[in-house]
Amino acid sequence: MFSAFIALTLLFSNTVFAIDNGKVVVLDTDMTIGKYVIVHEVFKSKIANIADEIYLGSKSINKRKIKKKIRQIDPDVVYCIGSRAYQLAHDVTKNVDLVFSSAINYHRFPMRKNTYGISNELPQKMQMMMFRYFFPDIEKIGVLYSKTYNKEWLDTAIENAGEVNIEIIGTSIKKPKELSSALEALMLKVDALWLLADPVVLSNEESITKIFKKSKIEKIPVFTYNNVFAKLGATMIISADIPTIGLQAADMVLDRLANKAITQRVQPPAGSYIILNLKKVEEYGLNLNDEALDSVNEIIR
Amino acid sequence: MIIRLIITICLFVGTSLSWIDYGLFANPRSTVYFYNPETNINNFASLKSEFDEYLSHHGPFQFQPFSDRDTFEKFIIESNDGVFILSSWHFHDLFVKFPIDSVCVGTSKGKSTQKKILSLNGITTNDNFDLLMGKKVASAGNEEYTRNVIKQMLGEEKAHLVDCLKILRVPKEIDALMALGFGMADLAITSENSLSKLAILNPKQYKGLRLIAKSNETLLPILATPKHRNDNIDLLLTVIEKMGTNPEGVTKLKMLGIDGWKRLGKIEKTSLED
Repeated sequence: MFSAFIALTLLFSNTVFAIDNGKVVVLDTDMTIGKYVIVHEVFKSKIANIADEIYLGSKSINKRKIKKKIRQIDPDVVYCIGSRAYQLAHDVTKNVDLVFSSAINYHRFPMRKNTYGISNELPQKMQMMMFRYFFPDIEKIGVLYSKTYNKEWLDTAIENAGEVNIEIIGTSIKKPKELSSALEALMLKVDALWLLADPVVLSNEESITKIFKKSKIEKIPVFTYNNVFAKLGATMIISADIPTIGLQAADMVLDRLANKAITQRVQPPAGSYIILNLKKVEEYGLNLNDEALDSVNEIIR
Repeated sequence: MIIRLIITICLFVGTSLSWIDYGLFANPRSTVYFYNPETNINNFASLKSEFDEYLSHHGPFQFQPFSDRDTFEKFIIESNDGVFILSSWHFHDLFVKFPIDSVCVGTSKGKSTQKKILSLNGITTNDNFDLLMGKKVASAGNEEYTRNVIKQMLGEEKAHLVDCLKILRVPKEIDALMALGFGMADLAITSENSLSKLAILNPKQYKGLRLIAKSNETLLPILATPKHRNDNIDLLLTVIEKMGTNPEGVTKLKMLGIDGWKRLGKIEKTSLED
């Protein structure tokens, strides 16, 4: 099934590009991780200049060996899949362009002027537009967050929300034990809950269960970012479309091989993947804009 | 072990297990074959399960979506057991090669045609299309379709420019507009309908767009059959055609971006087959 999916994604585009005198090395953190495999294969379907593909794997990395290998190849660009690949490439190369993707929280990376990449996170505004598109009656969206991890994120969300006629109501917690009371109060004020990747809010399994249990009782839909929440009862999940990330990374590499300047050095993903839980839509009596159904990738019934 | 193997094979080729009931021990199933180069179909599992579920209430029918043109065309040549849903652009191209017959056109809010719009971000008064050379276009359509429709918009004299455009294929039209809005692409090609949605969802972003070229009106997806039809195909055709009058059917059709069907008139058929 998975290989069939890969085969299908390879059909995304029918053009393989080759730039004269350009060499590309692909550095892949782990060839057993599904999303890495997809971006890697899609990337390969677009780029003909691949001089080598190096997999780091789960064992300890022989930095010196990889450094030697990369030096021997002398690539123009190293495409790094995953955080470990980027960090290693950053350490063992200097004047080589680095393009990364599929890396969690790239903000913590050491960046240099020839670092480029595709982030994992869809633009907030885009997600909010999708919420409105699917559920036109939803106006107030609650966000539970901790100031340590997501204050900046929330401030930007509040600022952007007005543009798409949404009001974001944030409630911050400092410790996981504050979750219940914060959730209780927030649910009274909002039409939906936007669940973020916040380690204080989602501190353990119990916290996650608590959120979805409360959502069910109050019939307040949960919108979130990861398909692991589908089984727990999330109503809508929006995440980045993985094959599109591979295509974007390939475009960036081609631009660099052609010596083209890239103004937006780290781009957000250009494609979205939407999972919609129709069971929850019906259970909570939500007004779903059925015109939006052609944008759904997976329907849960 | 053998059963497990059959299950695996069935899952792999995208057919459901109930096919075994119909396909091996009863009448062969008739199939709706679907391929549309104008949209990036990456919701295969949901499309298949939703349509299969609907069709199963009406007879031994199934739905088979394709992402690849060649495979789809191979099925068209080899299959005389089903109906085809395909773009009008693709039908026009196929009609000269294969004995197929157009029967219905999809409708959306009573309209059976659409226009594609090429838009860029930012207000510019410069009408020099040569400035588009080498720019990146976000599109939900495949590369061949996208270049073709832009060529039709800009005219043959700009064909060299279209050949130099880079195409970023995204999953859906709303993604193409987002890619434009957030700077991942320089241009986006979408339907008028998607632009209208953007105007409602984000008026600020919509106002910042400049619509630089428009395609001719083209028909929405076409429902076609092999030239020689049998009773099974006629029955399946009726089931599909009636989806537009059944609320559950309409919901499924909306996954394809339409909400009903209408029989093609003589003029429309001629335009498709010319």
